[in-house]
Amino acid sequence: MGAKRKKREEVGGDDEVAGGKKQILPSMIKNKDKRSAVHAKLKHQKKIEKRKKAKAREAAEKRALELGEEPPVKAIPRTIENTREFDETVCKPDDEELFAGNDADEFSSILNRKSDPKILITTCRFNSTRGPAFISELLSVIPNAHYYKRGTYDLKKIVEYAKIKDFTSLIVVHTNRREPDALLIIGLPDGPTAHFKLSKLVLHKDVKNHGNPTSHIPELVLNNFTTRLGHRIGRMIQSLFPQAPNFRGRRVVTFHNQRDFIFFRHHRYIFESKESKQGDTKGNKDKDAKGEKSSQGKVVARLQECGPRFTLKLINLQHGTFDTKGGEYEWVHKPEMDTSRRRFFL
Amino acid sequence: MPRTSTLECPGCPPIRALTFDVLGLVKVTEARSKEGGIPKVVDRWGEPDSSKCILAASIDDRKSGPLLAIAREGGLIEILNPLNGHPCLSISNIIDNGPEPGDDAIVGLHLFKKQNLDLSSRSHTLLTCTTKGNASMRSVELTSSHADSTSSVSSRTWNVCASGNILCSQVDGNENYALFGGKGVEVNVWDLEQGTKIWTAKSPPKNSLGLFTPTWFTSATFLSKDDHRKFVAGTNSHQVRLYDISAQRRPVISFDFRETPIKAVAEDQDGYTIYIGNGSGDLASVDMRTGKLLGCFLGKCSGSIRSIARHPELPVIASCGLDSYLRFWDIKTRKVLSAVFLKQPLTNVVFDSNFAEEEVPSSVVDPPTEAQNTNETQESDEEEVQPLKRKKKSSKHSGSKKPKPKKRSKKAQDETVDDSS
Repeated sequence: MGAKRKKREEVGGDDEVAGGKKQILPSMIKNKDKRSAVHAKLKHQKKIEKRKKAKAREAAEKRALELGEEPPVKAIPRTIENTREFDETVCKPDDEELFAGNDADEFSSILNRKSDPKILITTCRFNSTRGPAFISELLSVIPNAHYYKRGTYDLKKIVEYAKIKDFTSLIVVHTNRREPDALLIIGLPDGPTAHFKLSKLVLHKDVKNHGNPTSHIPELVLNNFTTRLGHRIGRMIQSLFPQAPNFRGRRVVTFHNQRDFIFFRHHRYIFESKESKQGDTKGNKDKDAKGEKSSQGKVVARLQECGPRFTLKLINLQHGTFDTKGGEYEWVHKPEMDTSRRRFFL
Repeated sequence: MPRTSTLECPGCPPIRALTFDVLGLVKVTEARSKEGGIPKVVDRWGEPDSSKCILAASIDDRKSGPLLAIAREGGLIEILNPLNGHPCLSISNIIDNGPEPGDDAIVGLHLFKKQNLDLSSRSHTLLTCTTKGNASMRSVELTSSHADSTSSVSSRTWNVCASGNILCSQVDGNENYALFGGKGVEVNVWDLEQGTKIWTAKSPPKNSLGLFTPTWFTSATFLSKDDHRKFVAGTNSHQVRLYDISAQRRPVISFDFRETPIKAVAEDQDGYTIYIGNGSGDLASVDMRTGKLLGCFLGKCSGSIRSIARHPELPVIASCGLDSYLRFWDIKTRKVLSAVFLKQPLTNVVFDSNFAEEEVPSSVVDPPTEAQNTNETQESDEEEVQPLKRKKKSSKHSGSKKPKPKKRSKKAQDETVDDSS
């Protein structure tokens, strides 16, 4: 009896003070049926309001365009990247210490084109199913890469052998449960070791409408590596590829960092001019094909994905070559560092 | 509203710390006001140059005429004035017939605090130790004219270890004994007056599996200022060991800490607490009487800790490391007081303890300091007469000196001005 009266009061209260200060939250109602009904009603109301607002916005925009005025400014949606927590380690463009640090770091000789990258790819001791396919695709993506079987060598010994043979980087693909799931990139001679977690691997043959990669040296696109740590990882990835991209080959490899996940994509592109009135003409192959004669045409780039697709996440960055026991870490992820959902490190 | 939580860092008491990094820069960080001051980088000395990476540093922060000695890569040792970064002296540690400086980098450096009180020139003693084990003790004279000072008056070099690399060296509180340890080198204690090795450690016996961990000490410190017999050493296999010279050659207490090598150890003034920092950024305090871990310092440190410094008076420690942050921690609560981002991987940190905050009206200060600036170089000896505390100065600087010279106390100022006039 008392409970029913309470419910009625609450419901009544909800209707009464609809525009007032106190609103009964659905979570305060104990009865599940009633609670779900109230919640559904609230959601429906919110949906109607949202649709009304959207329609009003569209109408205002159309009216403005018809009248020839400026359409009202579109509001910027709030995203996690927009509201990212302020990070003081973000690289500033005028930081001379950054440039000095860059000159002094382990990749500067490759990035200054003094030496060419030579990559050694190997695996963990047990390798099966998707591993070899992934490795063969990596061999086609990264120029000047060599694959050696792992055997039972210690990783530290492999590092030594690679140094003797003048390799500049060592990539170890680690497999777990018949799937490659970790990537260790070790810079040589005493470069840092980056340990990445690998996920969402899609092989070349599984990509829809895939293209076939050529052997031109690809262009490299590194997006969004803003902080100091990100910058260092970006340079490390850059040191895997030769620094003389062949633009005529129209081949691009992208490492896109978003929310600490690095997405790897491999595309071939072509420039086409899309014309609204005239017929379609295929664009030239060069990048500077923007100066097309057709007046109405917009030049767009069409992409064709080829090669594997995967995401990486940095687990730790170790100073020096691979040495878990005696090594010191430049960056290691600790759970106490995740203080907020808007904090990212790369 | 998005879920964000920012840790409110309580401020620091007034402190001044100097950090040294891999590009050879010395950065001065100060926290100003009494409570709740945010440390900021006040000064930066040196040009970024990776061939001048700073490997070791030692400060002699007496009240009058403090000195800072730093050892750079390539065997170069410099003595600077920690107030304004001016180099007083620079010596090269390269021995003529010795190994290449690239192989034999300096690992430890200590600037002795006791020195001959001589007004016209002061001689200081420096103990340096290199990775191949060449320890050398040299006295240098610092004359008043900063530009060229005569270098090593006397030096004594001896070899500390036959084989292996020295990775850590420390001098005890009374400056009579020094210890050295490293990879393949058991910890040795040497008597500096006589230049003899008085004690060597013995490694613990094989464990139950018959495995023998190779000797690899990565850091060491004496436990208290007065007692040279007890010291703590951290190893590469994440073990912390307490040795007592008067008891036995094997470690008295030994325990494991996490999983990465212990890269830095610092002692507290009470003689039994130590702070250890390891290769993955964990900082903890341990009571060495029992070997019990008192607690860890949680504060998002993500890089290896290279050096820990304890403030001589305030309950504050500073830690710096490869993640380029300098963090100040409160000892009692084990919380971060604040963290400063310093852009380069840091190798060492020292505290400058004679820093006190005082609000002094600037109008009174300005005229005497103008005169004082020009006389400062010659007056450095007269200042020894009365102890001075460095205070915050808000006046503009005159002359061509790049950093602002610190203001002396008013009483001393008047006296020095009187002396000069």
